[in-house]
Amino acid sequence: MAVQRNMDPKKCPMPVQDPMVRRNNFDEVALGYTYEMAVNEAKRCLNCKHKPCTTGCPVQIDIPAFIERVANEDMEGAYQIIAKSSSLPAVCGRVCPQEKQCESKCVRGIKGESVGIGRLERFVADWHREHCKDAPKMPEQNGHKVAIIGAGPSGLTAAGDLAKLGYKVTVYEALHLAGGVLVYGIPEFRLPKIIVQKEIDNLKAIGVDVETNMVIGKVLTIDELFEMGNEAVYIGSGAGLPRFMNIPGESLKGVYSANEYLTRINLMKAYKEGSKTPIKHSKKVAVVGGGNVAMDAARSAKRMGAEEVYIVYRRGMEELPARKEEVEHAEEEGIIFKTLTNPVEVLGNEAGEVCGMKCVEMELGEPDASGRRRPIVKEGSEFVLDVDTMIMSIGTSPNPLIRSTTPGLETNSRGCIVTDGENGLTTREGVYAGGDAVTGAATVILAMGAGKAAANAIDEYIKNKK
Amino acid sequence: MYKIVRKKELNPTVTLMEIEAPLIAKKAEPGQFIIFRAKEDSERVPLTIADYDREKGTVTIIFQIVGGATMELNTLNEGESLHDFVGPLGKPSETEGLKKVAVVGGGVGCAIAYPIAKKLHNLGCEVHSIVGFRNKDLVILEDEFKAASDKLCMMTDDGSYGTKGLVTNALEELINEGNEYDEVIAIGPVIMMKFVSMLTKKYNIKTIVSMNPIMIDGTGMCGGCRLTVGGETKFACVDGPDFDGHLVDFDEAMHRGTMYRDFESHAREESCNLLNKEVK
Repeated sequence: MAVQRNMDPKKCPMPVQDPMVRRNNFDEVALGYTYEMAVNEAKRCLNCKHKPCTTGCPVQIDIPAFIERVANEDMEGAYQIIAKSSSLPAVCGRVCPQEKQCESKCVRGIKGESVGIGRLERFVADWHREHCKDAPKMPEQNGHKVAIIGAGPSGLTAAGDLAKLGYKVTVYEALHLAGGVLVYGIPEFRLPKIIVQKEIDNLKAIGVDVETNMVIGKVLTIDELFEMGNEAVYIGSGAGLPRFMNIPGESLKGVYSANEYLTRINLMKAYKEGSKTPIKHSKKVAVVGGGNVAMDAARSAKRMGAEEVYIVYRRGMEELPARKEEVEHAEEEGIIFKTLTNPVEVLGNEAGEVCGMKCVEMELGEPDASGRRRPIVKEGSEFVLDVDTMIMSIGTSPNPLIRSTTPGLETNSRGCIVTDGENGLTTREGVYAGGDAVTGAATVILAMGAGKAAANAIDEYIKNKK
Repeated sequence: MYKIVRKKELNPTVTLMEIEAPLIAKKAEPGQFIIFRAKEDSERVPLTIADYDREKGTVTIIFQIVGGATMELNTLNEGESLHDFVGPLGKPSETEGLKKVAVVGGGVGCAIAYPIAKKLHNLGCEVHSIVGFRNKDLVILEDEFKAASDKLCMMTDDGSYGTKGLVTNALEELINEGNEYDEVIAIGPVIMMKFVSMLTKKYNIKTIVSMNPIMIDGTGMCGGCRLTVGGETKFACVDGPDFDGHLVDFDEAMHRGTMYRDFESHAREESCNLLNKEVK
């Protein structure tokens, strides 16, 4: 059916909670398109032949096809197209950095704003969840077993794809709840946990078993997973140990890793009235780092009641690695950006609590190996930032539990699992890996892309073995 | 769910529970720990494994009722189940090549010192155990230690049982009597481990301590359990919990241990009210 195109150069804005209200609650910030908004926005897509957007999608969703269905008001049809490629559409629609992926390739972006692909994906996934009550169809079993380590975005994607191909999949999760970073890291106000739970329920409905409280490498080794009849293993164990800066004072009370701070709030629900999980109720907080995790930590601190929250980042605003939308939302909520600033010491009082952070100002010099301009300390620029809490959000290094208990599994000098490029094959036959365990800290969607590629490779491997 | 097959009050503040957890029981070694959550909304709490039975498929934990979470755990009875029980976490204690060892336990730390003494004893190592308690009423595992030790020194702070004095007094005496230990293993309150380490440093005897800092996941993700050991940041959950006592920054560990003291005492009071018990 021919669609009347919408030639508005701007994308339909996302309705959001008012910043002054939302900075005091943990409810979702972005409220989602209405039905009319979605249909209207979908009509902005030109449905161009060469589909550049799809090349920007790590899980290769047929984007113009699903948007065409939305424009024609066939929401369930749109959902089925997305579901073919993505196991977690309601999640991706919310947390993918679309401006760097699909939307960056959109033809409409040349003379105006790109189509709001992420917003449409979210709308379709939410529409499906609210309107479609049919349980997903159980795929026909092919009699082969695969084990997945880690119930985060990478593991769940691999599990979903393999289950759809008929494999009996068991996902082993170390924590008491499945979801990985989607439940311990990304806050409720950006990704409501009920949505994650629903996506996991969908996977269970197609036969995926999820076993929580199972630390692979400790309670069972990868060799034992093979002895149990699994023909392949996928490692999606995520990043791991938080990095610190190795500056004086990092062991003071009131210095958190972003992982710890966010885990207490998200997984352990410290934000809820009457929660049994202790957390510091800070007045002035400095979050060190400029990625999405730093934004999440800063915005969470604000919602926990902090009066002043700083993002302390050694490069400039332009260089912030966080999604643009997260930076904008943080600014609207009153987070103060201290860019071109680097901490050199955490100051403590007699009780061993944080009472300030000594910083230096930076300026940008020549580009470094990453292509970004290298920050250099400005002489004599030392000053003290008055804070009682410091949250370190400068990345993680891979968890040693699996590599130290799996003979023959090669890791690189940074401790990341070595894989054979695209398909995730490790140096052990039948063992595949992907996501942060391979790349170091990256994004949800890249982890999902790796899970998807590995699921295909595992399918090929097991088929060829027969 | 993880069923409690046996529950025993060892003294008014310390409880033993034997939990059905066959996979963990199969792998557990002395020195490793588990993380439990009593109920669905409970905190995650790490506890070092006190014993395990591979045949029966059970893991024994011994805990002191110190805060809301342990109080909640103590409300569960035989036949009931813990919501979560995960492990074995951390590295096992190293026992290889040890011929003569002094095992020093303080208070509820004795629950963790015991399986190490037992393992060493079974390996044919000469074990001298020194256990210290505040008073006679708080003594636990005396018979077990007797069975696992070639020599047992029972110490109480007030002299109401055994010898009056600190574990360090007994240890120094044994050293001065000419006992040459390959290693001293000290497990108990941080302050005790600090003083044992200071003593053994003087005599140049290798000393291993078992640290029990605040942690959440226990698998190397949150970083809450970090310690400074030999000037480097270490994570108790994956690098430990055993560390070289001569390198651990105990003062820092003690400070960090008090991070949530106010919250804890408040939680304990609330639990007490909830459970209608007297606040001790």
